Amino acid sequence: MPLSDDELKDAICEKAAKSPKPQLYIKDFYKCDPDSKPRKIKNVANELVREGRLMFWSSGSTTMYADPSRIQNEEKNR
Amino acid sequence: MAKHETPLLDQLEGGPWPSFVSDLKHQAETKPEVYDILGQLELSYKDRITHWKHGGIVGVFGYGGGIVGRYSDVPEQFPGVEHFHTIRVAQPASKYYSTENLRKLMDLWEKHGSAVTNMHGSTGDIILLGCRTEALEPFFWDLTHEMGQDLGGSGSNLRTPECCLGTSRCEWSCYDTQETCYHLTLHYQDEIHRPAFPYKFKFKFSGCANDCVAAIARSDISVIGTWRDEIRIDQAAVKEYIAGNYPSNGGSHSGRDWGPFDIQKEVIDLCPTECMWMEGDELKIDDKECTRCMHCINVLPRALRPGADQGASILVGAKAPILDGAQMSTLIVPFMKIEKENEFEELIEFIETVWDWWMEVGKNRERVGETMQRIGLNNFIKIMGLEPIPQMIRIPRENPYVFWAEEEVEGGFDRDIDEFRARHAA
Repeated sequence: MPLSDDELKDAICEKAAKSPKPQLYIKDFYKCDPDSKPRKIKNVANELVREGRLMFWSSGSTTMYADPSRIQNEEKNR
Repeated sequence: MAKHETPLLDQLEGGPWPSFVSDLKHQAETKPEVYDILGQLELSYKDRITHWKHGGIVGVFGYGGGIVGRYSDVPEQFPGVEHFHTIRVAQPASKYYSTENLRKLMDLWEKHGSAVTNMHGSTGDIILLGCRTEALEPFFWDLTHEMGQDLGGSGSNLRTPECCLGTSRCEWSCYDTQETCYHLTLHYQDEIHRPAFPYKFKFKFSGCANDCVAAIARSDISVIGTWRDEIRIDQAAVKEYIAGNYPSNGGSHSGRDWGPFDIQKEVIDLCPTECMWMEGDELKIDDKECTRCMHCINVLPRALRPGADQGASILVGAKAPILDGAQMSTLIVPFMKIEKENEFEELIEFIETVWDWWMEVGKNRERVGETMQRIGLNNFIKIMGLEPIPQMIRIPRENPYVFWAEEEVEGGFDRDIDEFRARHAA
């Protein structure tokens, strides 16, 4: 059974906080709940951005998601 | 910001072509940070390496596209380009502007940015080059609130859809490309502004097979106008062309004397499917063999017109050669009605079937055409719920291997792969 939106949000945030790399592709979040459709995971990830719990990181050609505190630190050191 | 010595760049002003170096020098007279673009580029030419760092977390709140982060890696030497972000602004359908709109946009860009522009980027957006991070939100506020314009797509988003002039100026357009482009741009606002996909995704809309926006060469879904009945022929006008009374190609090659017009040489012999001939002084076309290449219509525009039962062919999978080589899109649906009356329902259903599959199966940074290639066209056709047709195949009978599934063979078949491998090692 798919996770509820709140459960999925927590799973995505945990993944963003603990993954070895700070930037994650949207597909990396699919593993947070294999029962949820990719479109739902995309919508939840974007809602987390609006809530300030995730941030976008873009190379220009590809957009990734990141935990705000981790990526802001990383950006300072670039 | 000081002026820098730029002997290498100065050489680029010497040739016969307009020079971006001259343009930037001119711009620097009112925007001194532009001297630092020239200075940094001169340094790159000396060092033979770029001094731009690209990417980052810059953007406007809630949008995951439209801004591309750009920083200098030598900001102490060139403080004017320490932050030099690119902004993509969605272009209007077919790029029709009023001069009032362009003036306002340029005023806005003078106010918030470097005033350097690229009209237009290869996706079609208005590209504004050079904005500091703290100016992004004020610029976005003014763009959306004062001008009613919006950012375009970047990153793993749906990129700003693009269309040819369509029925606004072209008699060959087989559907209203502007209406389709505008409708889908509004319909897919979320996909344009927020990343949804494994990689970028582009739609382009061309009204006919002349394909003035090069949809077949660079868009993941190419919607190219076509017809399914017969080319309309005005035999009286054909005679006028043969008599030399009408200029061929609408007069577009009239700058030189090419000799008298020869319909056999310039039209019939160049038909790729050899489906045209003359019977007496009448031009005949075997329409069922016509591949809709547009050549005869281009040469004889007053005599020939696309058929009246019009729509579009849908092709999937083109891309430019970034990772895996350039690829043209593949014909998937030979004919689809493209109609505003049903809000482009059939096209939208097709697009979303492709997306649902690609979002699940596509690898990170893999364009949909590469995913198609990886799984094979036969599998892609099955996923789309379509019957295979000869037009989907570029070179018939090139591959001698046919892999039948059990349900495709009358009576089916039993196969024990272990028993087979015991006799034939892999």
